[in-house]
Amino acid sequence: MQKKLLGNSYLLLVMILLYIPIIFLVVYSFNGGTIMSGWGGFSFVHYQELFADTRLLKILLDTFILAISSATIAAFIGTVGALFLDGIQNKKTLNTFLSFNNVLLVSPDVTIGVSFLILFTILGFSLGFVSVLVSHIAFSIPIVLLMVLPRLREMDNTLVMAARDLGAKRGTILSQIVIPEIWPSIMAGFLLALTYSLDDFAVTFFVTGNGFSTLSVEIYSRARQGVSLEINALSALMFAVSLLLVFTYYLYTTYADKKARLTK
Amino acid sequence: MDKKVLPVIEFKNVGLSFDNNTILKNVSFEIEAGQFYTLLGPSGSGKSTILNLISGQLSADAGEILFDGKVINNIPAESRRVNTVFQNYALFPNMTVFDNVAFGPKLKKLPKDTIKAKVREMLALVKLEAFENRAIQELSGGQKQRVAIARALANEPDVLLLDEPLSALDYKLRKQMQSELRAIQKRLGITFIFVTHDQEEALAMSDWIFIMNDGKIQQNGTPVDIYDEPINHFVADFIGESNIVNGVMKQDYLVNFVGKDFENLDAGMRPNEAVEVVLRPEDLDLVPIEQGKLVVTIADQSFRGDFYEITAIDDDGNEWKVQATNPSSVGARVGLDFGPEDIHVMRFNESEDDFDARIESYEGE
Amino acid sequence: MKDNSRAKIFFAIPYISWLAVFVIVPIGLLIYQSLTNVQGSFTLANFHEFITSNVYLPMAFNSVFYALIITLITFMISFPAAYVLSHLKHRQLWLMLIILPTWINVLLKTYAFLGLLSKSGIINQLFSTFGLGTHNLLFNHVSFIFVAVYLELPFMLLPIYNSINEIDPDILKASRDLGAKPINTLSQLVFPLSINGIKSGIQAVFIPSLSLFMLTTLIGGNKVMTLGSAIELHFIVTQNWHMGSTIAIILILAMAVTMYFTRERGKRK
Repeated sequence: MQKKLLGNSYLLLVMILLYIPIIFLVVYSFNGGTIMSGWGGFSFVHYQELFADTRLLKILLDTFILAISSATIAAFIGTVGALFLDGIQNKKTLNTFLSFNNVLLVSPDVTIGVSFLILFTILGFSLGFVSVLVSHIAFSIPIVLLMVLPRLREMDNTLVMAARDLGAKRGTILSQIVIPEIWPSIMAGFLLALTYSLDDFAVTFFVTGNGFSTLSVEIYSRARQGVSLEINALSALMFAVSLLLVFTYYLYTTYADKKARLTK
Repeated sequence: MDKKVLPVIEFKNVGLSFDNNTILKNVSFEIEAGQFYTLLGPSGSGKSTILNLISGQLSADAGEILFDGKVINNIPAESRRVNTVFQNYALFPNMTVFDNVAFGPKLKKLPKDTIKAKVREMLALVKLEAFENRAIQELSGGQKQRVAIARALANEPDVLLLDEPLSALDYKLRKQMQSELRAIQKRLGITFIFVTHDQEEALAMSDWIFIMNDGKIQQNGTPVDIYDEPINHFVADFIGESNIVNGVMKQDYLVNFVGKDFENLDAGMRPNEAVEVVLRPEDLDLVPIEQGKLVVTIADQSFRGDFYEITAIDDDGNEWKVQATNPSSVGARVGLDFGPEDIHVMRFNESEDDFDARIESYEGE
Repeated sequence: MKDNSRAKIFFAIPYISWLAVFVIVPIGLLIYQSLTNVQGSFTLANFHEFITSNVYLPMAFNSVFYALIITLITFMISFPAAYVLSHLKHRQLWLMLIILPTWINVLLKTYAFLGLLSKSGIINQLFSTFGLGTHNLLFNHVSFIFVAVYLELPFMLLPIYNSINEIDPDILKASRDLGAKPINTLSQLVFPLSINGIKSGIQAVFIPSLSLFMLTTLIGGNKVMTLGSAIELHFIVTQNWHMGSTIAIILILAMAVTMYFTRERGKRK
């Protein structure tokens, strides 16, 4: 019993450690003062600053537009790629493709960033929204593929056989059998690509120009100049959004679980 | 099957191999319309391969496959007038029962009312009228089986292929589905080709059985023919229980085994040809020693419900399985009796054609 | 299946183009840059300089050393935590709580430490109330390691938790049944059976630790130089792309070596 208590308190300690910086950020977003120490009374002044800061709001919007469009395109190309790889019978060929696929997944983001920078420079491609978008699509494709391909592989092949047997052509099989079957994994790949894009700093840092910035890059340059509680307000809002997302996801999965159990 | 009807399916010297493994060797056969056929054999014998060749999921390396007299080797699966009931049902999990059954008719772009009527008719046929809007996950194994049958039949195939469809069901349900399938086939009058490794199931359901082993058809015939006159050791062993001993065919109607001569009903072999002799356990009787053709000692006995299975050993050490209605006692010495009609003689490596010809030669007399 | 060649090409084109343009060409360009000088002629001078100068090689060893420390500390914290976690009743909820911070932008979390660790920050206030005086907590090696551990912790914890969680509980029961003390079970069963999770945890922590460059600037105060920050320096500040690419190639090699030593081997069926 004592051991259990010891273990649980240890875990609790780790959790507290994980959350202290976040709670700290949120608490100080309501500070009336201007730095992350001392306490100048409760105030919404930094939220007002945030909503008046059109530059930051535009960057926030850009970051989300970038994430959603890169994740969507990557989900499409990644799924198509998974369908292509699924059709390869030769094991050796498949493994070669897969190891190339994984290069961008395991490479440190700095090397991805600089190698793309060299690529864009040599191609004479100007750095800005498009170069960042293309880069995010590029590093998200293998993520989607890695979510979709296993699902395709473990898909019951007799479903396709049955559809063919009943007279379905390739297009129908794809749209009515295969896609619905792998849809959850495409969505999972999309969501993962979305979070990777939102979270990316290093790749964006190298391939963006003067005219375009994402949240990560903006925070980096602001943080180098010192603390501004406007950033705290922003993090508090982002944390609230994350919480909301996680909560909805949790509700959705437990609901799906319940439904699955009920229908058994 | 005297009158010559055009076969609905014909295989002419069909062969198939994967990665240097021969799956089918030179297989030829004909399937007539409106019958219940069974492909019976152990796993890996090639029976499911034949099914996949008919449905078009596989294509043959050699030979011709004909459907209604036309070669269909290059016709894709979706264009063949054949449908399949899969072993694991392969129901589309993202669709309701109705949409699963309506899948084929919808692809044919039939009018909505026709589709609805067709689906209802099929669900009625498999006794699932009330299940139209159920999700696949809500069904029991037996119900899934019925939906799979309805879905395949909704496409109005000329031939329905069934790939071990009952193997996942429990014993009672399996028995029930066997008779229902038979009834559905009779009612629709279309050809069923049923694949199974269960010999009891094959004997109970089929008009005609193909016994497969090692990529070849070993024997085909009615259940009774195959049971009574197995062509070789494999068939005799695979279908029912058998006692198989080596013997010599001294002359027509006289065979020697376990050191004794016995009268029998087989003929057409070379004098003193080495053969195998089959005696079915249910054809053997335990009698007092003086009335028996052989003397045996009871070695083991177990109760099987409707009979006793007895293992007896003769003085040469051969084992005899006997099905008896009355119990015996282990260690007792008794006589073993059988008649000439109970002895079935098999030649080594006799082809089916030769077998048929030989039987014709002396039974015709 | 000869009729599907057109469909195959349709599926293949976008994916293969991506592979070519964004995987193969960039690696080729990096190698090309590292093997050329400003005049564009081929040379091994960059690698020669990397090995012989008294700047690069010590920097690389330093970077590996820091990454090792970070990896070791995250492992020491994560393994017991994962073990405790796998025995909890509501572990799905706890797991969610561990994953949640990873959804928050890394830069925001890093930024939080600027406040936490500053001279007048909350930690220093605690120190002074206990009479320990205030300290320079930011912009040194310790703060760099501390924040890096904080950021990488979930990526070590989750794979270890997953592999511990996959262990059949009956195995652990059997171990107790046979008289093993918890410590024996832990060292002889839990640890070896979760080795693949530990290996992926090491991969997920060690490789990024070699390349973190925003942390060295924001938290390390440029006192710490990692391979990543050296690359940034050469590409952005000194604009010597050839040397920068050389360091990037070294980083990729370091990654390859790490992957080799932490690969899953002898997977039994």
